[in-house]
Amino acid sequence: MEFLLGGSWPVPFGEFSLKLDPLSFVFLIAITILVLCSGVYGLGYMRPYQGKKPLGFHVFFYLIFALALVLIVTANNVILFLGAWEAMTLSTFFLIIFNDEKSAVRKAGFIYLIASHCATFFLFLMFFLMAHASGSMDFNIMARTNFSPLFAGAVFLLALAGFGVKAGFIPVHIWLPYAHPVAPSHISALLSGISIKMGIYGICRVLWIMKVLPAWCGYVLLMIGAISGLMGVLYALGQHELKKLLAYHSVENIGIIALGLGVGVLGRSYQIPFLAVLGFGGGLLHVLNHSLFKGLLFLGAGSVIQKTHSGEMDHLGGLAKTLPVTSVLFMVGALSICGLPLFNGFISEFIIYFGLFQGLFGLPVHGVIASSIGILSLALMGALALACFSKVYGTVFLGKPREGLRGASHAHLKIGEATSARTPEEQGRCLEETSKWMLLPMMLLAGLCIWIGLVPRSVTGLVFLGGAYLTHVDLSTIPIEQVLTPLTMVIRMAFLFLSLILGLIAVRRLLLGAAPMPIRETWSCGFAQVSSRFQYTSASFARLIVNLMKRTLLFRRHGGEVSGAFPEKTHLASSVHDASEELVFAPGLAFLNDLSKKLGHSRIRHIQLYLMYILLFLVFLLVWKLK
Amino acid sequence: MSSVLSMAFPILSHWLIVCFLSPLFLGVIAKVKAFFSGKVGPSVFQPYFDLAKLFRKKCVYSSTVTWIFRAAPVVILAVMLVLALLVPFGRFKAPVQFSGDILLAVYLLALGRFFMILAALDTGSSFEGMGASREAYFSCLSELAMFMNFITLALLAKSISLSQMVGAHIPMTWGGLEPALLLVVASFFIVLLAENCRIPVDDPETHLELTMIHEVMILDHSGVDLAYMLYAAAMKLFIFSGLLVSIIIPVRTGDHWTDMAIFFGAMLGLAVLIGIVESTMARLRLNRVRLLLLISFALAFFGLIVTLWRA
Amino acid sequence: MMSWIDVSCILAVFLALTILATHRIVGMIKIIALQSFLLSFVPLFLHAEAISGRDIMLSGGTMVLKAVLVPAILFWTIRHISMRSEIKPIIGLGTSILCGAVLIAVAFWISLSLRLPGKFESSLVLPCSLATMLLGFMIMVTRTRAITQVLGYLVIENGIFLFASSLYDAMPMLIEMGILLDIFVAVFIMAIVLNHINEEFERTRSPVHRPKWGESQ
Repeated sequence: MEFLLGGSWPVPFGEFSLKLDPLSFVFLIAITILVLCSGVYGLGYMRPYQGKKPLGFHVFFYLIFALALVLIVTANNVILFLGAWEAMTLSTFFLIIFNDEKSAVRKAGFIYLIASHCATFFLFLMFFLMAHASGSMDFNIMARTNFSPLFAGAVFLLALAGFGVKAGFIPVHIWLPYAHPVAPSHISALLSGISIKMGIYGICRVLWIMKVLPAWCGYVLLMIGAISGLMGVLYALGQHELKKLLAYHSVENIGIIALGLGVGVLGRSYQIPFLAVLGFGGGLLHVLNHSLFKGLLFLGAGSVIQKTHSGEMDHLGGLAKTLPVTSVLFMVGALSICGLPLFNGFISEFIIYFGLFQGLFGLPVHGVIASSIGILSLALMGALALACFSKVYGTVFLGKPREGLRGASHAHLKIGEATSARTPEEQGRCLEETSKWMLLPMMLLAGLCIWIGLVPRSVTGLVFLGGAYLTHVDLSTIPIEQVLTPLTMVIRMAFLFLSLILGLIAVRRLLLGAAPMPIRETWSCGFAQVSSRFQYTSASFARLIVNLMKRTLLFRRHGGEVSGAFPEKTHLASSVHDASEELVFAPGLAFLNDLSKKLGHSRIRHIQLYLMYILLFLVFLLVWKLK
Repeated sequence: MSSVLSMAFPILSHWLIVCFLSPLFLGVIAKVKAFFSGKVGPSVFQPYFDLAKLFRKKCVYSSTVTWIFRAAPVVILAVMLVLALLVPFGRFKAPVQFSGDILLAVYLLALGRFFMILAALDTGSSFEGMGASREAYFSCLSELAMFMNFITLALLAKSISLSQMVGAHIPMTWGGLEPALLLVVASFFIVLLAENCRIPVDDPETHLELTMIHEVMILDHSGVDLAYMLYAAAMKLFIFSGLLVSIIIPVRTGDHWTDMAIFFGAMLGLAVLIGIVESTMARLRLNRVRLLLLISFALAFFGLIVTLWRA
Repeated sequence: MMSWIDVSCILAVFLALTILATHRIVGMIKIIALQSFLLSFVPLFLHAEAISGRDIMLSGGTMVLKAVLVPAILFWTIRHISMRSEIKPIIGLGTSILCGAVLIAVAFWISLSLRLPGKFESSLVLPCSLATMLLGFMIMVTRTRAITQVLGYLVIENGIFLFASSLYDAMPMLIEMGILLDIFVAVFIMAIVLNHINEEFERTRSPVHRPKWGESQ
């Protein structure tokens, strides 16, 4: 089940040792597919920049990034892992700041870089603690060591802090909504589809090494999953910008994955291997699924942005007519991310639900409560994601094109692309379907989403193998058929559903005959002069739900008051603000800033003093070590 | 051959029940409402006539709409037909049962809702956008309450198959008068009213008002498409009612005909009850609907606590 | 055994929850009357096999007093001082329902570790009576008007009644009757006071709009 590849490597403590096990295999599949698809898409997407920007750098860092990803998931050694990790972080930084002439892009890049490096601090701490306790830098040897539960818990918390930033758990997700929208779309797809999954991979690897974890770790993961998922999707609902919305959805899906992993850890700590395999397997499958459909959605969003030069949903509309293929592909992605039957999202959510319900029957009372919270949050996430994607699809692809692309008032909203404002009429004329090199990768991803949705057995074997590997049991001892049989039934019902659809279409055709149907205007209750501005916008669609949660989401409205019998023209803007950013990080950073300013004033400007500090510290270290 | 028949028979009988009786259910409700307002009212078979009329008509489409608008009615009706196979109707056991069918049921409903909302947004009309927004909003809350109830039922039945949850184990639990079930029933009744856009939540009889949900979303559908939509809505109400009746009255007398009579009697009773609720209550103000659904959630939550307490 | 006690307990909490979602004072009074009416049967349910005269007296007394007289006085007060029917919650009704749900959970959790002398007819009595009391408190805490304070107090009393009547043997009827009488007098005095204050304001009302008594500023 494991393949090892060693090599001599002139770095102390580290030998160049690679390992391919079921866990890395799942991630490797996701990496391969998405890196390929994004790469091909990028060829088409970057064409307008040819000759204007040094594309060679971009390709160089793209390849470094791909290599780093492969090394991360196959590394069997701490040093190699951390090296690859840093390579990934740095190459991602350069990929994000492709449009570095814009200050928003530079800001996002720096936020990403700082967040990543803060996280790496925890990783160093964690890995060196583990290496110290086990006496080796090799993952394989670490896994053979028995750690005390207390130590395992501490390591788990460090892993959550370190890998959690990369994965984007709330409240340390703040870099995501900055970085995803400003990066070129194929890079956003990779960031969301793969890069944040590396955080999940890291957590999985630590879970694998720590064979015995206290049960509270499982509860912590479940709660983090529930909170990240719910808050992620709620923030997504409040967004007006397409790629920012998708970025928040990544937070939601990471939450779902964490729910799965939480179930797995609970199953492992309460010695219910079936539960553990279900949880881990569902989580891993969702990793794969999310990279497929989120990649697809980001690429689709990229096509929309490339064609319309705007990611602002309330300025778009009616694109299903001008971008027919893209709109269908985006629909596949939307249906998948909502976890609807026939598509892959449903399969992984089904397995995680199944695990949570098993937890309801098998765990002690607090486990039952935790499972109930998990089930409820997953259900609510599903309903909210549905609301969110019906909003996205409805405002971007359906209805009429909105008259709003003109004017400078929203110039700041144009994201990372060449800007040129066009009227909807112009837009309608010059819009044509995306080039086929950009459609092809999207088709591949959409096809895979449907394939996994309809033939789940093609991947369940692998992910349950991964689950069993994380549980440290043999898969053949697990009654995995208990979940595969229902899945088969689900698929049968899906095919029944499809044939019913065909049948009903036939009935409809029969009843209607072949004659073309009359085409009229949309009924607007007798009002004749309806313009496209009458349509429900994304903000108005989401308003009811956002308003319900306005305190948590820091929902703000500006303007919009009317008075008098003949009110003046007025403007209304509404926005949702990230609570963890505004309430935790901004005040925290301000405090740090103040503190360092104060320290800065009192600093002593003699180099001799600094040298003395160094000397004192050296002496201290020597005394401490050689005492 | 006989095995195929034995598989096909329950499926067909389930479909027959749903297809033929669901409009009648609506007819009974309408009759009760007419009675309460002192009118004779249309015949209980009126919904059949309405559907028949619509099935004969051609469709008119808006120039704005895309294929989604045409696909939605088909998808929604197909969803209801599949859903019908997962739900037991008293004596008639669900033809398709498996562990976790409840998830498929809920997510199929969500699939139907997704297309419903998109079809509404497809027209580009502000009215339909409004309805779509409300549907998305209320379904979040009702889905939460629904799952809470399912958790309680799953804990009582130790199973996550719909047929087990509302079927076999229920008589036993009612025997001990499990008080949690009372809460589940109350909560589920509210969910039923909300999901099917019945009166305290939505008025199925108003048109062109700013307070409605379901009716406004299908404003632009016509002819066969509208017939599909209305038929699907009738089926949805019937399926939900069948589920609720299966929880309230666990029929296991052993005699086939008695069981059937009890089930259909109970369905009739439920239709009358819905009619009475609709006649005696006014539609709630929109911002109070949320409270109703939250109450439903709180009841289900209370039910779960009581179940855990008893366990 | 058909345990009607359980059902009464559940319904008591259920009704207390619905009070949290009610936005009209008239509605609240009606629900409280219904709750009192249901609870007045509890002494009878408790001794279903041998109903004594004492049970009937307790049950009948409670019913007359709490389900008929108190609501009647409250209705009379409302009519006479023509107060607005909308309540003014400090937190939104939706939030208060969710808080109520949490309080129910807390009540059950507390009951886990609460050991009381005496035998309970049903395991649900203790947590449900606690939950009713907590919800009553919640009503008093989150509603600003004077009359809602009284209503919250009545809900608390219903919780106490449920608790006390199941501790039947340990608690003399006299005490329960005393509490009932206290409530009655309290409501009575509240009605009179509100009425008098209202009359006073009617006389001294200035042309400037002045919030009616019982409303928050």
